[in-house]
Amino acid sequence: MAILKVKRLNKAFGGLQATNDVNYEMQTGELSGIIGPNGAGKSTFFNLLTGYYKVDSGRISFQGKDITNWSPHRISRLGIARAFQVSNIYPALTAYENIRQAILAQQKRTLNFFTPAHRLAKKETQELLEVTGLSQHADKIAGTLSQGDKKCLELAIALGSKPELLFLDEPTAGMSGEETHETMNLVKRLNQEMDLTILFTEHDMSVVFGYAKRLTVLHQGSIIAEGTPEEVRKNETAQKVYLGEEA
Amino acid sequence: MIRYGWLGLIFIATLILPLVIGEYWIHVAVEILIMGLFAVSFNMIFGYMGQLSFGHAAYFGAGAYATGLLMVKTSVPLPICLAISMITAGVLALVIGYFCVRLTGIYFAILTMAFGQMLYYIIFQWYSFTGGDDGLQGIVPPDWIIQVTAYYYFTLFIVTGALIVMWVISESPFGYTMRAIRDNADRTRFIGINVRKYMLINFVVAGMFAGLAGGLLGPFNRSIAPDLCNWHQSGVPVFMTVIGGPLGFLGPVIGSVIYTFLFAFVTGFTEYWPLTIGLVIIFVVLYMPGGVLGLVKTKFKTIGAEESMDAEA
Repeated sequence: MAILKVKRLNKAFGGLQATNDVNYEMQTGELSGIIGPNGAGKSTFFNLLTGYYKVDSGRISFQGKDITNWSPHRISRLGIARAFQVSNIYPALTAYENIRQAILAQQKRTLNFFTPAHRLAKKETQELLEVTGLSQHADKIAGTLSQGDKKCLELAIALGSKPELLFLDEPTAGMSGEETHETMNLVKRLNQEMDLTILFTEHDMSVVFGYAKRLTVLHQGSIIAEGTPEEVRKNETAQKVYLGEEA
Repeated sequence: MIRYGWLGLIFIATLILPLVIGEYWIHVAVEILIMGLFAVSFNMIFGYMGQLSFGHAAYFGAGAYATGLLMVKTSVPLPICLAISMITAGVLALVIGYFCVRLTGIYFAILTMAFGQMLYYIIFQWYSFTGGDDGLQGIVPPDWIIQVTAYYYFTLFIVTGALIVMWVISESPFGYTMRAIRDNADRTRFIGINVRKYMLINFVVAGMFAGLAGGLLGPFNRSIAPDLCNWHQSGVPVFMTVIGGPLGFLGPVIGSVIYTFLFAFVTGFTEYWPLTIGLVIIFVVLYMPGGVLGLVKTKFKTIGAEESMDAEA
């Protein structure tokens, strides 16, 4: 069953068509990637899907429900979470408190005025710290973590929302080669073991192979190629606008 | 846990205080308590939500007028008057906050101030109801607290209770959601929180406690004036919080102690109070940006305390 359906989506900023008549569909359980050079419209696409931008035209539906132009917090409550390209965390809170905040929101406990927060969601927070390899940094102020750890924390916050559909905007941006590998393996595990449908963007082609089952190439706001990684690699248009630059 | 020990000692000290100081300083102590409560309620918006309310005196003034009017014109008992002060200020904060939480930063500050000034002019002009710029006279506390020492203990009891409730809120999931909104409002939307709604709730709660502080002031001074609502008065909790430190729960109370004590002391021999407080603010902003509490905490940390500013806040 299609978990996500996007029909003829358009978004322009001034004269720039950032999203151009995009049709897209995802099946439950998929792990797919969107690639494209910087400025191709990947982040805009995510911002439209998660309600951060209003669409100019087109429809977005999640599990058969039309969510076009819903506000971000309503979309999030339906079970769609996202991690940002530039880590978007709570810099003055500890790593532990960052993750707990997402979990408390998911458990609808944020209107609780009288129970000390440190007594709640202990187990769930510890679990996510372990899954994302942040256990030893639990009590550090998030703003002081390394770039790589901030990205992991970003991912942990997104997972704290217990999503069914997860968008990862360049999950490995700014990571070393080894960290990149670890993170992509984690993404793969989340997809396989936790049954999470995941869509991620990436500008580095080599990262994508071996992980995504399906790839979509975005260029100047339009989809120009789609298929398995092998098919995309062989696709001439894709090679011309994108892969050619890398080689 | 050591922290609670200290708080216990401070509380015992406040109980003994009236026995060892003169009547003038007991008056000052009552004012410190009332203004401390006002400043902590302001800091729920400033320190915890990350927005500068420059019209917080509106809720303080609304609370003062609610209790003042009830005591002058009816015979409602004081505790009930104070509860009505909280409700009145809360309703006012709900109406004003509805518009203000749509904005952030300087626009939030300006809009809160504009609404505050509006209330000030209404009270200032409405002679038949509020007494206009003559204010309200003859707000006499009930017999059992008519002595200043008794009023001190009454205020201490209420302010301590209110501070405990606000502290519990600040440590609750709601309190942490406020910190989350302060740190990163966008991120908070994406974990499923309706940021505006939460900001409005916090604005109302902060307004209610400001109203309680205002309610305590009238019976203490025996009179109130519309100046309580104007933007000078809104500046006072800002100064107190900056001096004491916005990142700790008790920072504004420390600020109130310093500010109110200094005011009582300095105005005893000079009329240049604005100059004095101006110099103090400049010194604090330049040399101790975290306020007194920030300074104490950094010193403390070098000895080896590992708690974060926020975990303690």
